[in-house]
Amino acid sequence: MSKAKAQQPAVIHKVIMVGSGGVGKSALTLQFMYDEFVEDYEPTKADSYRKKVVLDGEEVQIDILDTAGQEDYAAIRDNYFRTGEGFLCVFSIKEQESFQATQEFREQILRVKNDENIPFLLVGNMIDLKDQRQVSYEEATKRAQDWHVPYVETSAKTRVNVDKVFYDLMREIRARKMEAIRQNNGKQNKNRKKKKCVIL
Amino acid sequence: MQGGDSPARAVDEEKPGTAGITIRAATPEHLIQLCVKAFTEHGVDEQQVEFVKVFFLMHQWFMTSEDLAQAFIDLYQGCDETVTCDKDSYWIVNFPVHFDMDGRLRSVVQNLGAVIQSEGNKQLRELVDLSTVPSYDWMRNMSVRNPASKHARKVSLVFNHLEPEELAAQLTYLEYKAFRRIHFVDFKNYALTASLKDQPKLERSIALFNGLSQWVQCMVLCKTTPQQRADVITKFINVAQHLRVLQNFNTLMAIVGGLSHSALARLSKTIACLPSESQKLLMEYTELLSSNNNFSNYRKVYHSCTGFKIPILGVHLKDIISLQTALPDKVEGGLLNFRKMAQLAIILRELTHLQGHESVPVEANMDLVNTLRLSLDLHYTEDEIYELSLAREPRGSLSSPTTPTKPVVFADWVAGVSPPDPNTINKHVHDMVEAVFKNYDHDKDGFISHGEFEAIAGNFPFIDSFCVLDADQDGMISKVEMKTYFIRANCHALRNSFKHAFHETTYFRPTFCIHCTGLLWGLIKQGWKCKDCGINAHKHCKDLVVMECRSKGSTKRNESLTNGVTVHEMTLSAKRKISQRQKRSSSSPSHMSEQSTQTDDVTRRATTLRDAQGHREVTVVDGEFYEEQSLLYERLLKAEEAREKLMEENCMLRSRLDTANEQIVTLKSHIGVIRQNTIAFILEQMDALHMQRDTEV
Repeated sequence: MSKAKAQQPAVIHKVIMVGSGGVGKSALTLQFMYDEFVEDYEPTKADSYRKKVVLDGEEVQIDILDTAGQEDYAAIRDNYFRTGEGFLCVFSIKEQESFQATQEFREQILRVKNDENIPFLLVGNMIDLKDQRQVSYEEATKRAQDWHVPYVETSAKTRVNVDKVFYDLMREIRARKMEAIRQNNGKQNKNRKKKKCVIL
Repeated sequence: MQGGDSPARAVDEEKPGTAGITIRAATPEHLIQLCVKAFTEHGVDEQQVEFVKVFFLMHQWFMTSEDLAQAFIDLYQGCDETVTCDKDSYWIVNFPVHFDMDGRLRSVVQNLGAVIQSEGNKQLRELVDLSTVPSYDWMRNMSVRNPASKHARKVSLVFNHLEPEELAAQLTYLEYKAFRRIHFVDFKNYALTASLKDQPKLERSIALFNGLSQWVQCMVLCKTTPQQRADVITKFINVAQHLRVLQNFNTLMAIVGGLSHSALARLSKTIACLPSESQKLLMEYTELLSSNNNFSNYRKVYHSCTGFKIPILGVHLKDIISLQTALPDKVEGGLLNFRKMAQLAIILRELTHLQGHESVPVEANMDLVNTLRLSLDLHYTEDEIYELSLAREPRGSLSSPTTPTKPVVFADWVAGVSPPDPNTINKHVHDMVEAVFKNYDHDKDGFISHGEFEAIAGNFPFIDSFCVLDADQDGMISKVEMKTYFIRANCHALRNSFKHAFHETTYFRPTFCIHCTGLLWGLIKQGWKCKDCGINAHKHCKDLVVMECRSKGSTKRNESLTNGVTVHEMTLSAKRKISQRQKRSSSSPSHMSEQSTQTDDVTRRATTLRDAQGHREVTVVDGEFYEEQSLLYERLLKAEEAREKLMEENCMLRSRLDTANEQIVTLKSHIGVIRQNTIAFILEQMDALHMQRDTEV
C-alpha cells in the first residue's frame, strides 16, 4: 500500500495571495517561486505558479494564485477564494489603508469558505522600509490574535521570512487535510485504522 | 558595443529570446541611435523590423513621446534628412494614436514640419504631415455617444422579453467601448502603482464588470420562488453562450462570475430547478474561465480565437504586473532592460491591437444600451446581496417559504446613504427614461400606463410598485414622475462621483486641456481648473469634459458628516445628563419644575419650527449642501445651549469648592487648637504626677 502511495503524484497545496494593490503580493510570490534572479520570466505559462517543494521531508507541490491586477474585480474574488485551501493575506506596513483592507478580505474569505479555521496568515510586507512604518507591530499582532491566526512580517526585497510564510501556511494546510482524512476514516470505517497509519 | 561618439552604451543578447530582438539592454540614447540606423533609403532594415516595432510601441514606458521626437529632430540637424522624416512618417503611420493623444508631441512634430517647409522641401513635408491622423476621440473621452444608427431596429427593452442574443450583443457593445478606451499609459501606470487612483478609464471598465456581475445576482435574487430564479439563471446562461460566440471573454467572465458567486451558488433549491443542459453549460464555462494552472484553459481558447475578441482584462493586467515585478527596469549598471520591454510588448501589442477594430460585430441599439447602462450602475455591497441570498433560502433549512416573502423594495436599501451630485445621475436617468418612452409610450402622449410599466419594471431588481412611481395618483406615469423616482432610487449609485467645480485660473506654466489636449492659450486666465480634482480645461471645453470628478475631498466630506453626527449625539446626551443632575440637585418647589417643563416645551416647539424651516429650505433649493448647513446650524445652536448650561454648572461647582476649602481651613485650625489643648493637658497631668511623686518621696 505504501508503495502505491509513493508513486502517486505529489499532494498539491493551493495557496491564494490576497490583499490590496501594491502591497507586494507578486513580489512575494516571485521571490518564493524563483530563488534566484530571473532573466526570462514567462507569466503566461501554465506552470509558472506551481513548484515542487520538500515540506518536512515530504515532497509536495504548491500552487499559488496571485490575485494581483484583479484586486478591484470584487465580483470574481469570490470565485477565486473558493478554490483556495490556504490564504496569505498581505498588507504593506507602510500603508495604513492596506491594513484596513485586510478586514474586508478576511470577512469575504470566511463567508466563502464558511470555515473559521481556514489556514490563514496575516502578512505585513515591506519591513525593509521600517522608517516609513504606519502600521505598528502591536496593532497587527492584535488583529491577528483576534482572528486566531499567526502574524509574520516579511520583506520581499531582502527576502526576510518569505519562505517561512509559505512553509508555515503549507504546514497548516497539511494539518487540516490530515484532520479531514482522519475524521472521514473515523466516520466511514472504524476498522480502517491501519490505513490511517500508512498515510501518516 | 560602444555606440559611436555619444555616451550611449549597450549589451547585446547572447541568444535572442524574443525573435528579432538582438539588443539586451542599452541606454535610451543608444536605442534612439539604433532606431535611426534601422531606417535606410529603402525603408526599415528587415533585420530590425521587430526592434523598431517594439521600440515605438514601448518608448512611453521610459520616455515621453515629446522627448523622443525632440531627439529625432536633434539628430535631424545635420543628419540625412530623408531618413529622419522616414522614421517620423513610419511612426505616424503605424502609431497614429500617439500623435492624436499627445498634444505636446504633435506640436513638436509640427515644428519639425515648419522647419522643413522653411527649407523648401515639399516632399519631406508631406512625410510628417499630421492631417491624415485619424481622430481618437473615443479614447480621449470617458463616454462618446456614437451617432444614432440610421435604421434603428425595434427591440424590447424588457428583460423578460429580451432575446439573450440581443442582450449579449448590447453588453458586448458596452464592454468594447470601455475596453478600447484604455490607453497604453493607463496600463503602464496601473502596472507601476497597482492602484486605480487617477485611472478613470480602467476604473470605468472594472466598474462595468462589477456592475454586471451584481446585476446578474440581483436579477436572480429579486425573484421569490426557486423556479423563477432558475429561469433567470437559465436566461443568463444563454446570454453567456452568445458571449462565447462573440468571443467577448471579459463579459463572459462577469456573467459566469456572477452566476457562480457564492450568493447564488449556495441556493441549492434553485440549482435543483435548473435544466441539466444549462447546468452542463455553466460547468463548461466555469471550467473554461477557471484560474487553475494560471488560466491555462482560457489562454488556450483565447489564443486560438481570431478576429474580434475581448480578453479578460484582469488576467492580462496580472501578467503585466508580474512582469513588471519580476524583471528589473535597469540592468548592468543603469542600462535600460530592453528585454523586459520586448516581453511587455508582446502583451501590450496584443491589447492595443484588439482596441483597433473599427467596427464591433454587433449593432448598437442606443435605447437598450441606455437602459442597460442605468441597470448596471446600480450599486450594492457584497454584504447586502449575500444577506438577500440568505433571506431567500436560509442556511440549513430545507423548506422554502411557502408564501412569497414581502418583496424587498429598492428604496429601503438606500436609506441612510447621503445622496451624491444629482446632475450626474440626472444624465443617465434622462437617457434611460427617454429610451423607455420612445419605445413604450405607444400613443405618444407622454404617459405610460400600468401595463407598460409592469413590463419595464422587470429590468430593475427591487423597483417599487406602480403606485409609488405614480406620485400624483392619476393612474399614469409621466416622464417627470419616472425620472424623479429613478433619481431618488439611484442616488446611492455613483456615490463617489461629483460634478467638477471649475473656476477661472491663471497658469504660470504651459498647461493642457484635459478634453482636447490643446494648450491653454493666453497670458492670464487661460483656462478653468476644477477645485476638487485639479483637471484643467478650456472655457469652451469645460462643459464637454465627460470624466467624472474624482475629488480627493469627497471622502473627507463624508467623514466630517459622520463626525458631526457623533458630536450632535454627544451634546444631546450631555444635555440629558445635565438636566437630570439639575432635577436631582434642585429641591425647588413644584411650580419651579412646572416652569422648567414649560420652557422645555417652548424650546421643543422652537426646534420643530426650525426643523420645518430647514426642510422648507431643502425643498426650495433642492441640494444636499443646504440641508447640511441647516443641520449644522441647528447642531451649533444646541451645542451652544449645552455650553451655557455647563458654564453655569461650572460656576456653581466652583463656588461650592471654595466654601468647602474654607471649611477645610477652619477645621484644620480647630484641629490645631485641639492638639495644643491636648498637649497642654498632658503636660499638666505629668507635672501633677511629678509633684505627687516628689511629695511622696
